[in-house]
Amino acid sequence: MDPTTALYVSQGIHGLAYGMVLFLVASGLTLIFGMMSILNIAHASFFMLGAYFCFQVLSMTGNFWVSLLVAPIAVGFLGALCERFLLRKVHAYGHVGELLLTVGVGMVILESVKIFWGTESLPITVPPILQGLLKIGGLEYPIYRLFIIGLAFVILGVMALFLYKTRLGMIVRGAVSDADMVNALGINVPVVFMLVFGVGTWLAGVAGVAVSPIMTVYPGLSDQVGMDAFVVLVTAGFGSLKGAFIVSIIFGLLNAYGVQFVSQLAPVLMFSFMAIVLAFKPMGLFGEIE
Amino acid sequence: MMNKTTNWILWVVLLLILVLYPRLFGFYFTNIFVVFAIYALYAITFNILLGYTGLLSFGHAMFFGTGGYATAIALERIQGLPLFPAILIGLLAAIVLALILCPLLVRVSGVAFAMLTLAFGQLMHILAMKLRWLTGGEDGVGGFPIPPFNIPGIVSIDIANPTNFYYFAMAVLGVSIWIIWFITKTPFGSIQTGIRDNAVRVDYLGFKVRHTKAIVFIISSGFAGISGSIYALFQNLISADDAFHVGNSFAPIIMTLVGGMGSFFGPIIGSGILSIIDELATRYTERVDLVTGLILILVIMFAPTGFAGFLSFIKENLFRRASDKTAMEKTL
Repeated sequence: MDPTTALYVSQGIHGLAYGMVLFLVASGLTLIFGMMSILNIAHASFFMLGAYFCFQVLSMTGNFWVSLLVAPIAVGFLGALCERFLLRKVHAYGHVGELLLTVGVGMVILESVKIFWGTESLPITVPPILQGLLKIGGLEYPIYRLFIIGLAFVILGVMALFLYKTRLGMIVRGAVSDADMVNALGINVPVVFMLVFGVGTWLAGVAGVAVSPIMTVYPGLSDQVGMDAFVVLVTAGFGSLKGAFIVSIIFGLLNAYGVQFVSQLAPVLMFSFMAIVLAFKPMGLFGEIE
Repeated sequence: MMNKTTNWILWVVLLLILVLYPRLFGFYFTNIFVVFAIYALYAITFNILLGYTGLLSFGHAMFFGTGGYATAIALERIQGLPLFPAILIGLLAAIVLALILCPLLVRVSGVAFAMLTLAFGQLMHILAMKLRWLTGGEDGVGGFPIPPFNIPGIVSIDIANPTNFYYFAMAVLGVSIWIIWFITKTPFGSIQTGIRDNAVRVDYLGFKVRHTKAIVFIISSGFAGISGSIYALFQNLISADDAFHVGNSFAPIIMTLVGGMGSFFGPIIGSGILSIIDELATRYTERVDLVTGLILILVIMFAPTGFAGFLSFIKENLFRRASDKTAMEKTL
């Protein structure tokens, strides 16, 4: 295999891995938005918190797998608490209040992170089994990126099973389309909301742990990935999981190849893509007409 | 009659305080007051979007920054550019940016509007960092010459002097705020609030919702540009992290909420409260944003109408008979 193809393929893997991470973050956002019509600005902060919790658990236990399990659950728990004790209280004041509340939560998380862990970037090492390169058919693939892609697909599968095959999933889907009606049927919708918020932030936490070895863990992390996730959401159309998946992959690849070919303009590519999409479809690629 | 006289006296007292302020409080607090006034105008331009038209913008800093950068770059590149054309360039740059964006932005509302403005704000931040030949990258534009306030043949005042700058800034900001206030009182201002309350109905009444939104957006952006331009002149420096950062977009939101978004003067009060908190918090902690974030959460949870709402709540409940329960229920 000639080196040019190898370069293309490896950039493709990088793009795909980043796209999957974006999807993990964006899917949580989409779930929460579809269900409660809240755009969780603090979502990116929860994502960053996942990375920091991973560092903390890693430095206490030294086991990456434990932190992959524990850190996202801690983040999800915090998210559920945040829904129960903050968001639910301001629900009556409308969406602007909820939106701004999440802004406040995001600020508090960001500043707390700076207090507890400082502003310098923290090192996180991958367990040896995930290091190195995998050789298949003369091409080399970085194992950790493949691991991220696999992990995301597993979570995607579990989520799809949960949403479409279980009773609770049915309730969630029902509440997405008409929360009042589900409430009237005698189901405790606030608890479902709390659960969904917890699962959404848990997904962000998983993404945070997943990227922590390959991206620098520092307080700017939330801005960096969070903005991309929001752009994914806007481009895909709010509340569409399928759209979020497709657009995340497109953006991941756009980012990877953009860095390779037009490195100066790489960050602008995504926004231009978004602007073009919105110029023709104001509700996003897969958004429903309001 | 009595009421009118009291009003006049209040205005005169306010004016006197403004005029005497630099002599009473000295150099340090004068500068703090200038920053407060700049942010008051900035928050008001934000509030005519949110409070009056119901458009939540998460990228208002792009106009602040564009105004500031345009003035700074113009003064740096063009030799002997007078003061007012420099500010005018800031205003025009912000308006041009608003004109480019508004065909896209007026089609959406609510969360989509917020996200789009956020995205474009970030785009401007990235551009300000990347276009080094124009904006100086991370360092920003600084050390440009500040021209004197000059009316040919009559007067020439050096505004590099803090006291003189204070008077100059107060005049420009005061006039801007007065113009915005005037606009909100015109029939056009009523269409604005109509769009906020019921856009469909305004549409049926024969007013053009999108055109009105676009005009409001352009007016708001233009004055945000002026506030940015004064800010650049005041600091003699404008940098991407200062002007275009997303925190600078959230600042007017927090000020408006703390002050009360239903009222025109709410953002001014909010800006004042936040400058005081900022000033106090920096003495005790490095994490000022933590304090502002907590305040934001507390305000939304316990005082969703802000300080202005709190004042009218007190007014309604203390200065009326206690048996008048309807007023209380209304405010609650």
